[in-house]
Amino acid sequence: MKLFIQLIMLCGLIMTSAHAENTPATEAKATATVKPSDALDRDSACTRCHDETENKPILSIYQTAHGNKADSRTPSCQSCHGESEKHLSSKSVSPDIIFGSKKGVFAPSDVKDQNTACLTCHDKDQKRTNWQGGAHQVADVACTSCHVSHTAHDKVRDKQTQPEVCFTCHKDQRAQVRKFSHHPIAEGKVACADCHNPHGSAGPKSLVKNTVTETCYTCHAEKRGPFLWEHQPVTEDCSNCHTPHGSNITPLLKSRAPFLCQECHDGPHQSDAPAAGNAAGIQGGLSPTLPNGNFSASENFTGRACMNCHSMVHGSNHPAGALLHR
Amino acid sequence: MKTHNEKKNVRFLTLAVQCVFIASVALPLGAHAEEDELYGLTHPANTVDFGALYVSQKSAKFGEYNGLNDQGFYGLGSFDIRGGKGYDSKDSGLRWKLNGANIGTTSRSFGASISDQGKWKLNLGYDELQHNITDTFQTPQQGKTGGNNFTLPANFGSINAANGQPSARELTPEQLNAFHTEKEYTTRRNASLGTTYSITEQLSAQVDYNHLEQSGAKLIGTGSQGGISLDGGSTGRAEAVNIIMNPTNYSTDNLNAALNWVGDKAHLTGGYYASFFHDDYNSLSWQNALASGASGCTGVNCFVNNTMSTAPTNSLHQANLSGGYDFTPTTKLTGGFSYGYNTQNESFPPSQIPQVNGNTPNPFDMMQPGGLPTSQLNGHVETTHGDVKLTDQSIKDLTLSAGFKYNERDNRTDSNAYNYFNLGGVGVDNQYTGVNTPYSNSRTQYEVAAAYRLTKAQNLRLAYEREDIKRWCNGVVGGAQCVASPGSDEDKVSLTYRLKAFEAVNFNAGYSFANRHANFDHNYQANTGDYGVAELNSQNKIGFVAYPYASRDRNLVKTGINWQITQKLDLGVNGHFSYDDYLASLGVQNGRSAGVNVDASYNYQENSSVSAYWSWQKGERNLRSGNNGSPTEVSTNIWTNRLEDYSNTVGLLTRHGGLLAGKLEIIGDLSYARDTSEYSTKLFYVPTVSNTPTACDSPIALLCGNLSPIRNELISLKLTGNYKVHKNGKIAVAYIYQKLNSNDYFYNGQQFGYTPNRVMPNGLQEQDYTVNAVALSYNLVF
Repeated sequence: MKLFIQLIMLCGLIMTSAHAENTPATEAKATATVKPSDALDRDSACTRCHDETENKPILSIYQTAHGNKADSRTPSCQSCHGESEKHLSSKSVSPDIIFGSKKGVFAPSDVKDQNTACLTCHDKDQKRTNWQGGAHQVADVACTSCHVSHTAHDKVRDKQTQPEVCFTCHKDQRAQVRKFSHHPIAEGKVACADCHNPHGSAGPKSLVKNTVTETCYTCHAEKRGPFLWEHQPVTEDCSNCHTPHGSNITPLLKSRAPFLCQECHDGPHQSDAPAAGNAAGIQGGLSPTLPNGNFSASENFTGRACMNCHSMVHGSNHPAGALLHR
Repeated sequence: MKTHNEKKNVRFLTLAVQCVFIASVALPLGAHAEEDELYGLTHPANTVDFGALYVSQKSAKFGEYNGLNDQGFYGLGSFDIRGGKGYDSKDSGLRWKLNGANIGTTSRSFGASISDQGKWKLNLGYDELQHNITDTFQTPQQGKTGGNNFTLPANFGSINAANGQPSARELTPEQLNAFHTEKEYTTRRNASLGTTYSITEQLSAQVDYNHLEQSGAKLIGTGSQGGISLDGGSTGRAEAVNIIMNPTNYSTDNLNAALNWVGDKAHLTGGYYASFFHDDYNSLSWQNALASGASGCTGVNCFVNNTMSTAPTNSLHQANLSGGYDFTPTTKLTGGFSYGYNTQNESFPPSQIPQVNGNTPNPFDMMQPGGLPTSQLNGHVETTHGDVKLTDQSIKDLTLSAGFKYNERDNRTDSNAYNYFNLGGVGVDNQYTGVNTPYSNSRTQYEVAAAYRLTKAQNLRLAYEREDIKRWCNGVVGGAQCVASPGSDEDKVSLTYRLKAFEAVNFNAGYSFANRHANFDHNYQANTGDYGVAELNSQNKIGFVAYPYASRDRNLVKTGINWQITQKLDLGVNGHFSYDDYLASLGVQNGRSAGVNVDASYNYQENSSVSAYWSWQKGERNLRSGNNGSPTEVSTNIWTNRLEDYSNTVGLLTRHGGLLAGKLEIIGDLSYARDTSEYSTKLFYVPTVSNTPTACDSPIALLCGNLSPIRNELISLKLTGNYKVHKNGKIAVAYIYQKLNSNDYFYNGQQFGYTPNRVMPNGLQEQDYTVNAVALSYNLVF
């Protein structure tokens, strides 16, 4: 009964709040300053034809930053699409600038011309400092290949939906984020832009920071150290051992111990010893005992293998941890 | 109790559904808005989603990041509410937004922002993520996930047979009874605050702060003992391994403050970035029943206490400067500079470990007398970055660029000699001297590139890059070398061609070749933990080169074609192939990778589409190594190992709208991914096992042949139906099916009765699951 009463109250709250939100908005429409001719006057040269009946929601640009009329920087339609005088006199002629990458009624303009329209305002800020000469610029990627400017929801600026925009071109990564070990990209908790700056950067692979390690430390500061006992490849590049977009081997490893370790070690301890089926232990077919009666499976090869003991692979801060044991 | 809860949940769901229907009928939402499409287009739509979801099976892997790791009901909730005069007024640019997602799970997030566009902006955020690692881990250790001290039950007893040989496969019933399951997870709670303020039209300030709080634990391996004497007089490796829970009780505070100036021809940003990492612990302690105590030992005296370090508290302060200058509209110069100061002064973990009464020495000191030169590291790393880039497009159809980058990690931490005892050892044989070698490196890169537009439809780009890497250590005690490869240089050329063959066909192809020449000194003396003993080349065999430090050639080919067949139908195919060839007689010899992606999409009507994709990837790494020989004597016992990775992913996505007079939309997302990793080893000599020559594929060796593949297959289906009950509301019903088939030999050695000699079993299970989930939610737009 108590639960039922709570539900009724919840329903009431939803209906009341929704109605309350709705009512003033409706009133605002009738009484406030929003009249089409008022809000759209600067763009009326275009909006007298491109109105609410368009298949594409042209006018929803007024929900975006590009439609905030109180900001003196807000562009008009012609700021981006050009004066388009011929188009104004004949709708069969294309506007000066057609954005997009696919042919519609008109063929899209050259990418360079499209991007120039955007960069007129957006080229001078920290995030786009390295656009010129950056990976996307040299690959002739248009701003509108990723961004939509006429709708309130620009998928690429939403953490949940950004990856699907990036995966339009980066198809290897689309497959990799589905692997057994992965960052929570498909789950919407990590976005591509958390690590990469698509507008170009001074770092490798358009990373947001100057180096790979610096980028990883943004979230994994526990690996930053400096440690008393450092592991050299760790200090240089996390991707010596890890692959960031997804791996069949946890945690995001390029390979598994002992094989991974043997790519750099062939001497100390058992790092020079071959491993094969013995890494799968007794259940992998290994005899439970040796001829001398000793047990055969070795902790050097099975399970975590080298990292059964050398577990401080990112560095140790223990004064007796030189061998990355402690 | 469980049954009662389930009934309660079902009743709640029933009532929630009734509530949804009542709301949909009773609300006059949008009645007025329907009259004016223009208003709807120019003003934001607020949305609220609420409902419930049922998950059929408990699975840490299915719920790894989505918070749906337990069987049962979850509340669904999300909202996005926007408002402000900035949608209506020419005088006020004020807009605000409140949003939340996944409210009913541990993947929840909330956000709020308010701004007067062009003047100021303030935003707040909260994001939670529980990384569920496993729910099958078993341990006899007492202590909860997130703690840093684990002990064994007093009556657990030792795990050592009469001859000092292990018996972890033969635990007593009392010992088995002590095992209990601990759920392993780490939780991240991230709160953020950001603000931007435009001081003038040209000058703005920005401050972003976030606080990340972590809890939980990750599993970690621990060794407690070096070697033991085996029958026959040889020394065996009996590391006395316990897998324990390493706490992640961390917090990280990041602050980023910047001042931006924008002029007509230039812009400049000066910033300060600070990052403070704090670990609540500096050590992790546990009791070990494998390393001490005679056969049949009972009571706490059978155990050895042990300690290891945890991630040390540290901080980073960084000053950043970046900007650009336009000489002309077509000639631009950009650049940046950063200087970072990273310190770590966490007290060392205790090196003296109090032992239980019967064990000697008590306390056990891991350090030899005088072996602790300092009580904390006083670690100090300086990072420097500089970059400059000039681009020019003043010649028609030609784009030129030239760039320079420099990155340096200069580790200024003091180097000292630490005299310690190796794992579990107290005798002279276990007296080791380690000298810490603070690694430093620098990377200098140059790039020049030219892109030329051959015709309106063709582009060609040629680039040359040069990279020089230096590695060193500052002031290593004794002045010895610390790196095998003090430097390398790499030259890379790349050629890219793009063609717009027809109006709707885009083709691209690229090739790059890189040659890395590494300096490698096989005679350097390495820090292998016992610097008292001269260790050449990290004890590696002569000719062995670790792959990151080996000379190598790299070839890479990429190509792709996209064809917009009609306005409704698109087809795309792309692929790549790379080959790395390393110059080393031992070590990684070569690696290959290849990939093909095929995509097709068909938008057969408005709001209706179907798309399909297939991705295939293959990777291969070939390793050559030696089992005998030395840093000065060529190995003759050669073996090779090959790793091959195969990945296949196919997907089908469909969206069909306009059903039932436009009220119903059905969305389907089906995918199948199969990933396989295979290791195979070949021996070119007859191995010796127990001092007897043995065939490498005999069951007592299994040193050659193929390992059972690591294979993961994931089938995923999500069907969603959205039914509009009125213009502003719809009901969504979703069905999710996911099935993971996982085969991984890793888990073999974790099982009771099957672990290696001295590895405490933990019973970790493969993470197969078959999960069905059903969700019902109501979406309100107002």
